Amino acid sequence: MSTARKLAEPVLGIVDVDGLLLSADPLLMRLHLRCGGKEGGPLAVPELAALCRLSRRLGMNLSRPVQASDDDCRIEMWVETRLASPDRDQPLSLSIIDWKEYSHDESDKMDPARDRDFDRLEGRGAIRTDAALRIIAQQMPGDAARNFDAIGRSLVDIYDVIPPSAHAKLLEAVAERQPIRNQRVRQKSGAQALFLLQGQPLIDKAGLFAGYRFTATPDDPTEDQAVGDADSKNVSGKLISDSLFGMQLGPALRQPLGKIIANAETISGKLEGPLRGDYVSYAKDIASAGRHLLDLVNDLSDLEAIERPEFTVAGDDIDLVDLAHRAAGLLAVKAADHQIRIELPDEGDKLPASGEFRRSLQILVNLIGNAIRYSPDGSVISLRVSNEQGFARISVTDQGAGIAPEDQERIFDKFERLGRSGDGGSGLGLFISRRLARAMGGSLTVTSEAGQGSTFTLALPERKQS
Amino acid sequence: MDRTKQNDIIRRARAMADKASLVADDFAQVLFPRTDVVFNDRMRSNAQQYLHGVVNQIEKRICEIATRDLGVTHELLLSIGQGGDGQSFALLEHRGLLNQPEIVHHLFVKTQQMELAARLLQKISQEDLESTLTRHLDHEDPAVAQAAMGLLVAQSKSTGSAAEIAASLADLPPEIVYAVAWPVTAALARLSAFPGPRLQQAAERLLAEHDESAGLTRKAERLAQLLEQAKTENDPAPHPMKDGLSLFVARLARQSGLTSDQIVTFTAEPNMARFIVVLRAADYPVENALSIYAALGSGDNILTAATYGELDRDRSLTLVSHWVAPEAFQKAERIFSRDYLGEEGK
Repeated sequence: MSTARKLAEPVLGIVDVDGLLLSADPLLMRLHLRCGGKEGGPLAVPELAALCRLSRRLGMNLSRPVQASDDDCRIEMWVETRLASPDRDQPLSLSIIDWKEYSHDESDKMDPARDRDFDRLEGRGAIRTDAALRIIAQQMPGDAARNFDAIGRSLVDIYDVIPPSAHAKLLEAVAERQPIRNQRVRQKSGAQALFLLQGQPLIDKAGLFAGYRFTATPDDPTEDQAVGDADSKNVSGKLISDSLFGMQLGPALRQPLGKIIANAETISGKLEGPLRGDYVSYAKDIASAGRHLLDLVNDLSDLEAIERPEFTVAGDDIDLVDLAHRAAGLLAVKAADHQIRIELPDEGDKLPASGEFRRSLQILVNLIGNAIRYSPDGSVISLRVSNEQGFARISVTDQGAGIAPEDQERIFDKFERLGRSGDGGSGLGLFISRRLARAMGGSLTVTSEAGQGSTFTLALPERKQS
Repeated sequence: MDRTKQNDIIRRARAMADKASLVADDFAQVLFPRTDVVFNDRMRSNAQQYLHGVVNQIEKRICEIATRDLGVTHELLLSIGQGGDGQSFALLEHRGLLNQPEIVHHLFVKTQQMELAARLLQKISQEDLESTLTRHLDHEDPAVAQAAMGLLVAQSKSTGSAAEIAASLADLPPEIVYAVAWPVTAALARLSAFPGPRLQQAAERLLAEHDESAGLTRKAERLAQLLEQAKTENDPAPHPMKDGLSLFVARLARQSGLTSDQIVTFTAEPNMARFIVVLRAADYPVENALSIYAALGSGDNILTAATYGELDRDRSLTLVSHWVAPEAFQKAERIFSRDYLGEEGK
């Protein structure tokens, strides 16, 4: 898979006599940072640095093909060096006139652990099967998670395929290695929970069919008849609220939105065949707008959930360092798009805390997402952990515009946007995050000065390491 | 005998004494060449002529910059700058300063390129060869069309036809300009006895004004990169009679990961053995490979479909991947291999 970037203008950079990258256009700066460079530090792309050194040693302007690589892709460039004058102390200009990216084979496939984090964050389950549809791994939400006997057994032994699709149709799709969309299944034993399966065939490195990866979204059987059928609320125990939104509107919106997003992504990913470039772009816009709406629906559902007096959270054993890495992993692409680097605590460290895994991850994703949204491109977001007075703390510090003292409490209010609009936020994220933190026995606070960036700190009850 | 003649004989005798120890080396190289590559008289003559041209052009440009831009008024330098006979070549040749490996390697590649161009012109006319690039001018990717135009312009600026021996300063690789410019500057300083740093400043300006992007080789390599990136399955394989020599070599180099210089060098070797392996590794269909071999070969040998077809592609790929390794690495490996064999033999 390759991505050509048609450069309307060359990508420019300035390198001084000591090899320091004095300035760079965003594309070059992103590559420099991904190669481990720092702003104003030595040019960290080895092939470009070597070309600069040769140009300077010869005292000549060079024009050569260069290949560079970061974690995600290999980049083919055509680079020209320009010396300002024969004076060797003068900076050297880099001008990249061609830029083509090729994904690494591995990067074409998503990191499975990251996939699972997304699923957990969204309250979805995941099932991985082999080519014979035998379950080789599963992680399901709620009671279904306790079904340990499923491993090694056929998917159709554990789940009943229920209308509108049918058993034969599912097997037909599997036989043809086709993606499986919106397949309803019900657990044969236990809580007999209903799920909506979306399956993608997996192809191994030798190009052979290797099974399926399914996502399983808890399904509401009343959904199709919910609107206008108030008597059919017999599964209200599973819903986060029995109000109009939580019971009826939320699920009724979530599923069609999910379908819109899935179909738009299928189109933009050209999974069904080639497509004109502008149509790909429209499909991406549709998917993006759909995701925004889905976020809003989720926020409103959460809002209702946390405002209920009986709202409780689980007291899982969690590790804030691990959560920091997971949350940063979920937002890695978004950060890279803005050339933002996320500094994380050492992966080997541990900071045990008590709180619900999914809710804590949700808070961190919200904090880091906000930091990315309101930080300048090319800046750094730092995550630091500490523990004091019985609380494990994790702070998210950005280099954004900061928050004025008088606004620092207001931002935790419902629907408070501080006059901002059009950036994809709903004004509910921090309100929900603080309420969740408090429900877990902790707190969410902010310190900031206008123009100096902000630091949000999540504190959760410390758990003693055994 | 007058005194001048006496001095001349004494000077020659001294010079001969300096060189006498090297006579045996030269003769040994002719009698017992270490490679199987055949250097015919035409190649030797071309190489001498080309090197002479390179040194003269650099010398003239340095003198031009020194006299016109830096205000030097020395008579010899003025004369060379205005197109008078060059003076440095004899001195540099005599002192062995042109015998540097990178200069000699460049000479060999350039001479072989001329040899290939001459062979190609026996099969296709100069006009047809020049028109090959025009088909890329209508390419749907504007970057390809623009690069093709750039190569056409660079070709038209290159002196004479592809098979003619002519040195163009603009087409020289920067490393060669650098390797020649400083010895030429030193020779000029010695011959003119001109003091001060202005000759060196002129050389620095010559180097700084050299624009590699305008050279024929880089233009061809950039077009090759863009064409390979935009390639579809239905595109025909590159061919010297359809792409022209520079672009064909650049495309094959890109496909194989080798350098253009390596590809040209391989064509000089007996039976073009390594060149054929490169074609096989790049998966050229048999009819294309035979046609390319016929277009670039000297006609002394014939490549058959059976011979080409029997070449194992995986082995060819392994060999090519070995040749892609840095030259210093390959050289060290060869030496280790010889040492190993030597110890075995003891």
